[in-house]
Amino acid sequence: MRSPKSGFASTTSLRPLLAKELAEIASGRALWTMLLLVCPLIGYSFVQAVSLYSEASVAALQSPAAAATLSPLDGILVPTFGSFYVAVTLLFPFVAIRVLGQEKESGALRLLLQLPYRSSTLILVKLAAVLAAWAVASIPALSALAVWVILGGHLAAPETANLLLGHSLYGLLVGSIALFAATISDSSATAAIVALAATIGSWVLDFTLAGRSGLSAWIAQLSLTQTLRSFEQGLLSAGLVLGILAVVGGFAALSSVWLPPGIPMRAKFARSLLCALLTFAALGLATQVRTSLDVTEDRRNSFAPADQELLATLRLPLVITVNLAPEDPRYIDLRRNVLGKLERAMPNVSIVLAGSRQDVGGASDTYGQIEYVYGGRSDMSRSTSPREVLPLLYALAGAQPPAAMPGAEYPGYPLVANADATLLWFFCCLPLLIALAWWRSRKPPTVKSLAFEGGQP
Amino acid sequence: MELLRAADLTKRYGEDAAIAGVTFEAAAGEVLGIVGPNGAGKTTLLETLAGLIAADSGGVFWLGVALPPSRRKAAMFYLPDGIRPYQDRFTIQVLKFFANVYRRSTAEIARAVAALELQPVLRKRVSALSKGYNRRLLLAIGLLAPQPVLLMDEPFDGFDLRQTRSIIEVLRKSAGDGRTFILAVHQLTDAERVCDRFLLLAGGQIRGIGSLRELRKQTGIPQGSLEEIFLALT
Repeated sequence: MRSPKSGFASTTSLRPLLAKELAEIASGRALWTMLLLVCPLIGYSFVQAVSLYSEASVAALQSPAAAATLSPLDGILVPTFGSFYVAVTLLFPFVAIRVLGQEKESGALRLLLQLPYRSSTLILVKLAAVLAAWAVASIPALSALAVWVILGGHLAAPETANLLLGHSLYGLLVGSIALFAATISDSSATAAIVALAATIGSWVLDFTLAGRSGLSAWIAQLSLTQTLRSFEQGLLSAGLVLGILAVVGGFAALSSVWLPPGIPMRAKFARSLLCALLTFAALGLATQVRTSLDVTEDRRNSFAPADQELLATLRLPLVITVNLAPEDPRYIDLRRNVLGKLERAMPNVSIVLAGSRQDVGGASDTYGQIEYVYGGRSDMSRSTSPREVLPLLYALAGAQPPAAMPGAEYPGYPLVANADATLLWFFCCLPLLIALAWWRSRKPPTVKSLAFEGGQP
Repeated sequence: MELLRAADLTKRYGEDAAIAGVTFEAAAGEVLGIVGPNGAGKTTLLETLAGLIAADSGGVFWLGVALPPSRRKAAMFYLPDGIRPYQDRFTIQVLKFFANVYRRSTAEIARAVAALELQPVLRKRVSALSKGYNRRLLLAIGLLAPQPVLLMDEPFDGFDLRQTRSIIEVLRKSAGDGRTFILAVHQLTDAERVCDRFLLLAGGQIRGIGSLRELRKQTGIPQGSLEEIFLALT
């Protein structure tokens, strides 16, 4: 007599499940269609970016100061991957939905759920397949980087890797939302509507609530598009990475709750509430992680190396009270040029935002003032430039401003190149290779299956 | 010897009871047929047993010990009716996936392929299979699954008489090896050919349970067919 546990190893191999998920994605049309659509999109963006970069480089070749402003991160990488971002937002949900939607519609899910895997395992493996699909979908964008190098362009490894990390996390985020949408929807069409409502809704949030303060600003922070900004600016923020992973984990957990059909609705809602609470708690903790790294080659998110070294030695608490509304352009300048850099350079910085929207009209005399308190001494300024703020801080700390370090300047990477010929790659060669790979993937299996045809191993 | 017992299983959809107070047991190596017209609650009963639908009340017991829904998949494997799994994949790939999950050998896959005569369609996509071959593929998956109890919804749907007899032979052989089958069948002649005992279901309630001989005795129709007995009881 067989017991209920016979035939079920305590640890069932994940390999067949992962192989099945990858094969399922490859056998569907969604991924290949997305790849074919992405090729011209990426190609056009890349060629346009190279053209603009070249125009700027013509003048920069004559002037080192102008050359220093030319960074491939801003000029090539961000615009090229920007079009990939659009494709991931609009097309990738269809790819991600397929990993579950097809099984739901064909009834295969009822077989899958009986396999010796937990629901959470099934979802995590599907999420891994979604990430693999994102990696395949990024081939045209990655090929653009290779083309850039072939043209003689410069790529800085840390900032390129950071941007790729940001896009992969964004892809994973969109994938997890789409997977959750597929879990709770009866059909792929409904799931697509739900997923696109989330991704396109993010754009709407971003546009309509930009520059607002208070609750609106907080809601705007939930926009998916916010996730990429730091990475595009060359910042690797631990809090942001953890926050994205927390949300991805939250959607994965919700999908695991809603996947098995044999659980009463009340229990599913209770577990969902718990998942949501845990996700919000994790998100809250992630926002408290302030550690971030400036991975740009031009160190745009940091002060000059000599200043960085000196500021790191100022260990007393620095309290900065800013009398500016959050939507005030001066505050945005101050945040980018001074506050963010100080938070990364100094060990103990607190920022108090004292201004509000009502003060913008000039009703208060103190509006625009920024107070710096360090070591029991304080000073006031209205400047948003580090050239004025840093000497003020050094004076408060009783430190001598450091001498500039020679040779630390960013040289810039001007390049005059014509990328028009590469359109052939993006519009013809790469799509042809993709079509060929698609055709190959649809060929029936051969050698191994022969063993079964005679009924003998 | 009782292997599996369902006790007082009830599932309601709103005011309507799809199944109400269903109680029965199945022994090892037995083929139990759940017989009833369309809408009798056969599929609901199988899915409730498999843990794919949450029962409103009642329980399932394995060798006398309560078997919660989360552990049912270790004891039972359910083959639903009307599904066509992984349509874009080839038949051999689908078989190998399930075989690999359950760590079945190449020889075991080959035996299942031979038993169900799937050789001609191994390199066909599942979407291109006829209804009969799709049904055989499902049955092959069921044979590769290691669970002691196999639940099957309308296993003979899509087969002609000769094919049905061939499949019955496969099921009987597997039952002879000690595996238990619980089949939901609406074709009474098919059920009569393959099942050891019958659970007659109508309107979600059991109208009779037992072997053909016991049911004949119960209805007082000594030479009655299953069809006549069913009509007498429902």
